[in-house]
Amino acid sequence: MPKRTDLKTILIIGSGPIVIGQACEFDYSGTQAVKALKEEGYRVVLINSNPATIMTDPELADATYIEPINSKYIEKIIRKEKPEAILPTMGGQTALNAAMDLYEKGILDKYNVELIGAKVESIRKAESRELFHNAMTKIGLNVSNGRFVKNFEDAKSFAETSGFPVIIRPSFTLGGTGGGIAFNVEEFETLVNKGLDASPVREVLVEESLIGWKEYELEVMRDVNDNFVVICTIENFDPMGVHTGDSITVAPSQTLSDRQYQELRDAAKKIISEIGVETGGSNIQFAVNPDNGKIIVIEMNPRVSRSSALASKATGFPIAKIAAKLAVGYTLDEIPNDITKTTPSCFEPVIDYVVVKIPRWDFDKFRSSNPDNDILGVQMKSVGEVMSFGRNFKEAFQKAIRSLETGRAGLGTDGKDIYQYDYISRLNTEEKNLLKAKTLIKLQTQRYDNIFHLRYAFLLGATTEELYKVTKIDKWFLNQIKDIIEIETELRSFSF
Amino acid sequence: MKKISKELLLKAKKNGFSDKQLAVILKTTEDEIRKFRFANGIIPVYKTVDTCAAEFESGTPYHYSTYERFNENISSDREKIIILGGGPNRIGQGIEFDYCCVRCVKALREEGFETIMINCNPETVSTDYDITDKLFFEPLTTEDVLNIVHYEKNVKGIIVSFGGQTPLKISKELEKNGLKILGTSSENIDIAEDRKKFGNLLDKLDIPKPEYGTCTNPETAKKTAGKIGYPVLMRPSYVLGGRAMQIVYSDEQVNNFFRDENEVSKDHPVLIDKFLEEAREIDVDAICDGEDVYIAGIMQHIEEAGIHSGDSTSILPPISINKKNLDEIKKYTKKIALALNVIGLINIQFAVKDNVVYVLEANPRASRTVPFVSKTTGIPVVMIAAKVIAGRKLKEFRLKSFEEIGYIGVKESIFPFQKFPKVKMFLGPEMRSTGEVMGIGMTFGEALAKAQESTGSPVPVNGNIFISVNENDKKPKTIEIINEYIRLGFGVIATSGTSAFLNKYGIKSEPVFKVNEGRPNVVDRIKNGDIQIVINTPLGAESRFDEYSIGWTAVQHKIPFITTLSAAQSFAEGISRIKKGKTEVRSLQSYYKL
Repeated sequence: MPKRTDLKTILIIGSGPIVIGQACEFDYSGTQAVKALKEEGYRVVLINSNPATIMTDPELADATYIEPINSKYIEKIIRKEKPEAILPTMGGQTALNAAMDLYEKGILDKYNVELIGAKVESIRKAESRELFHNAMTKIGLNVSNGRFVKNFEDAKSFAETSGFPVIIRPSFTLGGTGGGIAFNVEEFETLVNKGLDASPVREVLVEESLIGWKEYELEVMRDVNDNFVVICTIENFDPMGVHTGDSITVAPSQTLSDRQYQELRDAAKKIISEIGVETGGSNIQFAVNPDNGKIIVIEMNPRVSRSSALASKATGFPIAKIAAKLAVGYTLDEIPNDITKTTPSCFEPVIDYVVVKIPRWDFDKFRSSNPDNDILGVQMKSVGEVMSFGRNFKEAFQKAIRSLETGRAGLGTDGKDIYQYDYISRLNTEEKNLLKAKTLIKLQTQRYDNIFHLRYAFLLGATTEELYKVTKIDKWFLNQIKDIIEIETELRSFSF
Repeated sequence: MKKISKELLLKAKKNGFSDKQLAVILKTTEDEIRKFRFANGIIPVYKTVDTCAAEFESGTPYHYSTYERFNENISSDREKIIILGGGPNRIGQGIEFDYCCVRCVKALREEGFETIMINCNPETVSTDYDITDKLFFEPLTTEDVLNIVHYEKNVKGIIVSFGGQTPLKISKELEKNGLKILGTSSENIDIAEDRKKFGNLLDKLDIPKPEYGTCTNPETAKKTAGKIGYPVLMRPSYVLGGRAMQIVYSDEQVNNFFRDENEVSKDHPVLIDKFLEEAREIDVDAICDGEDVYIAGIMQHIEEAGIHSGDSTSILPPISINKKNLDEIKKYTKKIALALNVIGLINIQFAVKDNVVYVLEANPRASRTVPFVSKTTGIPVVMIAAKVIAGRKLKEFRLKSFEEIGYIGVKESIFPFQKFPKVKMFLGPEMRSTGEVMGIGMTFGEALAKAQESTGSPVPVNGNIFISVNENDKKPKTIEIINEYIRLGFGVIATSGTSAFLNKYGIKSEPVFKVNEGRPNVVDRIKNGDIQIVINTPLGAESRFDEYSIGWTAVQHKIPFITTLSAAQSFAEGISRIKKGKTEVRSLQSYYKL
């Protein structure tokens, strides 16, 4: 279908200030969207409160508003600029929430403004846990058990039937703020009460934990003709239990069999069709049981997300740009692939390399009396990330570590190790075993520097099997790390 | 031991080992490894990210390195400039440097150069393949940059001044290896960054600066601090975003500082500055071409000096700096920029106390306030700076003054405290904000109200304020401010000490317990929704690090938590503006036409 001619002016909502959980990836997507829509001849109006963004550069949009992103101000802009449509899928959760608020307050109807990119119904279905559960059940997919509660008593009755561990997620907080995993009743009570406090509507979701399952994300796109493409499959190095934003991630997926991959792909197609995102990109997260392959749908974001930026950079496929064009009526087969110029966008990207993303944390800025501030869990804590390419996982992984600028030049042996190689090799068997036991205990808790402790554990004689037991990191990844250490050891028998 | 073979070294490189790691393992230096590699042809090739695994032809030069055969990177004959990006986002270095890099690339393309971007942050616009002529998605290390340069012909030079600290850190190494750094020379950058050299320069230029000293142990530190006079600002040298800076009030705290900072050494001494308590802080962004200096913006901070400039609230143009001081600020900026022979941007921080203008520091590179200055004034600051670096003169541009604008911009910071329970929230010299918002309006009040609304803590227009001020702040000025809140219709709740002080001036307030005095205390009252604004000014060792539970509760309940009197006053102005219902929206494009 050609582009829509009934639209003249389109309002794009940005994502506001950089916060943990919502960073400059939405400047990237917003900038692409502004450019794509202008290229198609639309008049583009933009609102974003963040002056450090490229999208708010006055040369980009036709009218740029640096104003607070809420319905009060957006209504004033609508009155002034009279857009026919709003594109709310480029500015993260902030933009989506603002759009829903405009709808609920009747402002969209009042000024006859249409949401493009995602419809109110689809956003609701994807964002409301109950509607999402029903939709998934309808198409025969599994979701995790959970319940919304408004007080500790109800939470407790859920935990009594589900058993521990239980995940606690406060409603309507960004990046999982105030959430956590409880392994016992005592932790559970603290976390539920803290979560209720953190939630603006005093509500938390208590959910059975899938800790230790493998985690995958699919970046998918769909057009009005039901054409569907998977842009990228991203595998989390860290198993379920760590926020994706805090996980090391790898693309394409490394440890899925083709059959398992096809299952995820089919599920993703069913999900995006059922939720009804017909003009844009979505991010769908799955958990896969490492023992029996059982698949659980975790969530779906009916919008461009942090992972979309990653997937775009990893594949060269400009998701936000294409999503903006789909939103104004094009279909995937009508949009040429930007990079090759000759193939259409309905060709799924194929990659012949490995991409690794590693988050960057800044814990030393937040030293406090709480020793657990640097434990990774359901609440995102990283402030940035790096990505790197390689022809194999080991190359990409080590390049990513040295990209981080944390003073590390790769996976250890860079003069910054807590336990230097020489120190470890001087230990006697008993000392080695003691330190190994200590390291294995440390690895049970997810912290930002665990990859280096994996190395120490291997150097101390731990086996892949032992490390899998405590970390649940797929053995394929553990063996890759072991390979790196073996090459290091080989190098050590030579002089320069 | 046998000498390492070419084959084994190649195998290591294929598996991602850096030259630095190899140098540690093989007990040599990074330079030696690099020499060996190049001598033996162990140089990476560049592959293309083409969406199709090379099945179809692709002309888009988006590359990554690997140790294989068949280099897909073709170097043209055009004159090239390499721009180094900012690397991963972190506190102290964020999106603003992505903005600067992208604008720089655009300007250089307009000037006809081929632009090459190197960066490793997937969230950014600078790593979008259609922004630059050529994109290398690679780590920002000496090794990786030199590998890229190996294949590129006709390189005019490399720009390191738009990506924050990241590129600056490796610029000396790159220069040593034969690369030309465009813009301000690394010698002059060094003068600006080295306190002693910079101090000497200021003395030579006859520009006032706070007293300072350098030391490596607690004993000399106490002696120096005694000579300068407490309070002093202490920090390890060469740190980003003011990490580990502390305001120190006593000998005992000097000891504590050394206990916490165990990496202090001869190579990494501790810097001690006189802390100008309650001074006004000013930020200036300027461009210099070696002959002329153009002042793009002067910003005044709402918070007093001592709070990291990245965390403070900035006002552009300044609203309460007198003309004499403003003129001095301009004069000093010009003197310093010319003395450092700056080519491109420079950011200078000033403090004004008792009508004296002090220079705190100068950074000859793009600062994090550059986007804010550009957005507020409409002056394309980065574009001009980039073209100056590429060889143009300021005279060639039509430059308008930021003082001509008839409206005001306010920038506020956003903090991640909710993520880190029990962290102390009083702002200090260590930067902790992750991002910023801006409000723009015809008056200061309107701009501030909008900025505040953008932070997500809506501006309360009625209810109660809680106030607790330190001894120094128990002065008539405070009374004026409190009266303003009362005029706006707010009730006053205060700690017993502050309450007694207010009583003396005839202001009735409802006393409330401090956290340790009994219950219900102020935290309970906040939780019960009785308090809408918290004004708590800490000063001195005890109170500054005390009662953070009030701040923590305020943050959790999204209540404005104000820690300085000047901010309290500004805030009242904002509320008054909102109550009059006069916030309008206007696009940047139409502001610039005003």
